[in-house]
Amino acid sequence: MSGLRIALPGGTLFESACNLLQAAGVARLDPVWFDRELSIREGDDVYVKVRPTDVPTYVEMGGCECGIVGKDVLWESNRECYELADLGFGQCRLVLAAPRDSALAHGVWPQALRVATKYPVSAQRFFAARSLNVVLIRLHGSVELAPLTGLADCVLDISATGRTLLANNLVEIAEAGRSSARLIANHAALKTRNEAVGAIAVALRRAASERLTAGAA
Amino acid sequence: MTGLDALPPGASVRGRADGFTDYLVGPAARRRMLTDRFIEAFEAWGYGFMVTPLIEPLDTIAAGVGGARQSGLFRFMDSDGALLALVGERTVSVARVVATQLHEGPFPLRLCYAGSVLRNQTLNAGRRRESLQAGCELVGASGLAADAECIALAAAALERGGVEHIQVDVGHADFIPGLLESAGLDAPAREEVLAALARRDLVAVESALEGTDAADAERRLLLAFPTLRGGREILDTAAGGLRGERAHRALQELAQLWDLLDAHAITDRVHLDLGAVRDWDYYTGPTFEVFSVDSGFALGSGGRYDTLLSRFGVACPATGFVLHVDRCHDSIVRRAGTLDAPVAVQVSWHADAHARALELARGLRGRGVACACDLVAGGDGDVLVSVTGARWASRGHHEHGTIEAAVAALAERVA
Repeated sequence: MSGLRIALPGGTLFESACNLLQAAGVARLDPVWFDRELSIREGDDVYVKVRPTDVPTYVEMGGCECGIVGKDVLWESNRECYELADLGFGQCRLVLAAPRDSALAHGVWPQALRVATKYPVSAQRFFAARSLNVVLIRLHGSVELAPLTGLADCVLDISATGRTLLANNLVEIAEAGRSSARLIANHAALKTRNEAVGAIAVALRRAASERLTAGAA
Repeated sequence: MTGLDALPPGASVRGRADGFTDYLVGPAARRRMLTDRFIEAFEAWGYGFMVTPLIEPLDTIAAGVGGARQSGLFRFMDSDGALLALVGERTVSVARVVATQLHEGPFPLRLCYAGSVLRNQTLNAGRRRESLQAGCELVGASGLAADAECIALAAAALERGGVEHIQVDVGHADFIPGLLESAGLDAPAREEVLAALARRDLVAVESALEGTDAADAERRLLLAFPTLRGGREILDTAAGGLRGERAHRALQELAQLWDLLDAHAITDRVHLDLGAVRDWDYYTGPTFEVFSVDSGFALGSGGRYDTLLSRFGVACPATGFVLHVDRCHDSIVRRAGTLDAPVAVQVSWHADAHARALELARGLRGRGVACACDLVAGGDGDVLVSVTGARWASRGHHEHGTIEAAVAALAERVA
């Protein structure tokens, strides 16, 4: 029986994902190896580095048996994968933020609200529960510029430290969700490769909680 | 303008909508043959083949399946304004037929079908929007022997179709809800956990349990998900410390079902999976899914649905399953690589030998050999028989004396 194929998210979570795999004793992966190759064999397993938003696609369609990806990506994807473990790293929040001097920042919700976001699916779900006349404007980056230029009244965006919001004179109005890295698995692989997938889940979960305890101490 | 600029916006790929497939000569034939093998297996077990429409009134579908499944349907309006939908599965259609036309039995009814089902998936997601399903329904039998028969038949059909290395995961729709009841969770907390399980979000299951005072034995079981898998022995492990009657009954049923599957001689391919996550409001008893290492998707699934028929006015227990023909085909191709094209015999002829060539072709077809006869003269012999993929040709009756002798010899050679 061949090993597993595991999808790793390029970008901000990549180094932490490699570190956790190493701490868990699952794989020794140096992030710089992936500068030259996007697919690396380690023992019986193969690790591929893909765009974060593509991780659920690889896993749902059976291209990879497992993957590591932020919960914020899972909110946006309509892929069906098992979400096996919260890996603790890559923590951030999805927040609604508006300019400091706006009425919204003072708790006054306008009749109609233009919201710029990179997270249209999450935004739709967030606002579905609120009876507001919302216009969603989908952007692909630097969402915080939208209120500055008058493109939107507010933003629904990811905030890890709050520094970007602060630098752009935006204040948090509401929290839509909390995200962190997750281990996900393909539906069939969880059944047909149960032991291998389960072993990775247990090892990563243990390493993540040890890290959490060490961080708290 | 060149390239992309010259193309009209939103043009479909070569005139075909996304998520739909043209099956060309080889794959289309293999897909049909696979369906035929499945139906043959169903009929060999006494299931009668029936056909239901591709379109059902939305009301009919809504009576059978929940909102989440309805939203994925292709819907449109009839000429009188009634809402119609292309079927997304066919069990509800069979239930409608049984309730309206076959409600007098004789029970149990053994019915099977094969046909397209349609799902309105997101564009460019790589998912099929039309797929072929073949399934069985065993209606009017409440005992576990009926569930065991369905599981054994699903395995037998897949094997007859040439799907290798299958694995059947058997669960019970009552186990997890029963576990949640006996854990002492209130209704909203139970709903939260079940919803998280249905989303396959085990992180949310864990955090939903954290805020509750779930009893230890049950909490341990819920958090052990999805490792609650194995042979008959896991039932004893799970039963230890468990108090709720509903969960215990589910475990007892699975134990009896295991013994029945053992009698069907298929337990080497079966796992009990207590954490099986299925459509909770549809199934009422044992459920199962069939997997193969060659596919990232379930190849088939089924279970007991004792309340579905009562939604059509006939209280009647039922169990059944469906096989996903396209996924099975994918898994066979993945294992076998490119499959051989079917052997085609070509009969060519020279000068005035057309009639003899046609006679030879008729003879071959009569013996079950597929062959095509050239439409115009072209061969360099009197009658020439050649086979694609094979390195031989035969000079018809010149080599064998008479046409009949040639037919017999060629038929044997091709076989």
